[in-house]
Formats: sequence, C-alpha cells, structure tokens
Amino acid sequence: MFFGGKTNPNLEQFSKALSESVAKMFYERNEIKFSQDPVIEKRNIIEYNGMMRADGMEKFNEPTFISYINYFNNVNDMEKKKAIGGIVIYIEQTNVTDLLKLLKYPLADDEDLEALADCCGTLCNIIAGAFKTEISKMGYIELEMSHFTSYRNRAVVGAPFSYNEREKYELSFFIKRKKSLVIDMTMGVVPKR
Amino acid sequence: MAESNKKILVVDDSTLERELLIEILKGSGIKNEFLQAKSGEHAIEVLGRNHKEIAIILLDWQMPEMTGLEFMEGVVKVPAVSKVPIVMVTASGSEENKKQARQVNPNLAGYVVKPYEPEVLVEAIKPYIL
Repeated sequence: MFFGGKTNPNLEQFSKALSESVAKMFYERNEIKFSQDPVIEKRNIIEYNGMMRADGMEKFNEPTFISYINYFNNVNDMEKKKAIGGIVIYIEQTNVTDLLKLLKYPLADDEDLEALADCCGTLCNIIAGAFKTEISKMGYIELEMSHFTSYRNRAVVGAPFSYNEREKYELSFFIKRKKSLVIDMTMGVVPKR
Repeated sequence: MAESNKKILVVDDSTLERELLIEILKGSGIKNEFLQAKSGEHAIEVLGRNHKEIAIILLDWQMPEMTGLEFMEGVVKVPAVSKVPIVMVTASGSEENKKQARQVNPNLAGYVVKPYEPEVLVEAIKPYIL
C-alpha cells in the first residue's frame, strides 16, 4: 500500500545521523568503540497489509529479538497511528544481555524471554531517543516518539512506516568484529522548523 | 546518606530501566522504599493509594496508553498531589521536549536524559528525599 506521495530526498542524511548518534551513545556510555565502520545499506521496504516486514532471522539467521519505535509529526498523528518513520532494532538472542551489560545495565536472566524482550526494547528506546534529539538538532521539527514494541524472531504484524516511502536504510554495527546490532530506519519527509 | 521514610515512585514501562534506576539509587546509599509503576495508569493507582508517603516521582515519557507527559498533566491539576516533585527520566533529550515538560509542570524538579550517569540521577533527586 504505497501511496506514491513525495519520498524523503534526505533519507541518506538521516541514516548517517542515526549511525553517528548510535556511535556517540555507545562511546559516551562506556567508551565502546565499534570494531569497524557501520555497514549502511539502502534496501527496499517489503510491505504487507500496510506494515513493513521485520524479520530477525533475515539479519542473523539465529533466534533474534526485535523492537521497534515509531516517530510522528505531532500528537494527533500519534493518536491516529500515522507514523512518519521509525527504527527497528535487531539483536541476536545470545547477545542481548552482553550488549546491555556493555551499556552498564543490570544483568537480565538470559533464559527469561520476556526479560530479554524488555532489554531489547530498552535499548531501542535509548537509541530512538538519541536519534530524535539528533533530528531536532538538524533543524527538523520535534517529532513525537512511541513507546517500544518487542517481538522474538519476527514482528508478527510488521512495523508501521510512512506509506510514501519505498526504501529504508539498514545499519549494521560490529563489536569485536561480530555483527552485534542491526537497525532498520525509515523516515518520510520531516518538515523543517 | 540520611534516611527518610518517604517513598520514591518509579514509573517506566521498561522493567530493566526501573531495576537500573533503583539499583543506582540504592547503591548510592539512598534508603527510601521504592514503589514501581509500569504505565501512567498504573502510576495513578499507586499515587492515589500512597500520595501522602511519596517523596518524589521519577517518570518516563514514552509509555503505552498514557504517556508520562499525560500523567504529569493530570497530576498538576489535582491539588492533593500537585506538589509531589517529579523528575522526568527519559530518552528524549531535546531542548524542545524539556521546554514542553516545563510548560506542563512549571515546578518540574528535574529532567534526566537516558542513558544517564548515576551521579546525574542522584544529584537530581537528592534535594527531595532528605
């Protein structure tokens, strides 16, 4: 259900801003440096019933936790669930607690799937918050942000996105040469302030 | 750190964030009892039952159903609870959001951006729990 409206001509700029805000957040939190530059790739959005497919097995080929957060132009759009964009984060199940430990979060029981989903959502929240602040600094309007929604392996009904967009950016981050975090980012045309 | 018999209400939909916050405050010597709520609605229930015993509310912004901002809009209108200090603890750190929170609650006690350093959190709430 793509509507064919104006797509975001600055999507690449947003992907770079996201990459930089993630790197900055990891460094400031615990001086964590990624072992290589993030791999940033433009990909087509696979849409089904108005939602974007978010499948963790496509990113890691192992059990994976997925969390997404959406952005909205204003509170009214948020109430109508009319997203302008969002991020979906993917973390391999065996890596969730290690990643949170690096960020100085308390250790969760790595056999408690609900706790792991909560961990993934917590990380999604702080990344989404840092990205939102970066978007605001770039001169765009202040976006509203949803709470996180988490799944294991696959977002069952998909993740909301701006219907005009056909492409997303996929960002892969590596710690100790291991792919540790993948983020899908979609963003429609965000008005300037 | 001096003891207080008043309680600290922690409102966040993330269990991990609530645990982290309580762990940090206990680790820094704060002896107050903690109450927890995982949503704005839940926080209203807890606040309604315990408002005379609550020293401060630590409030997340993005939560399902009722957001932290909506919760705070409600709280400031109710005289019995409007004086309870609130510190926002949120991932949204833009100046615009800080301004918005202060517009809703001119007496906002603090604004802490996640992920935060433990000292920042402790400093923000210390004046209200001693």
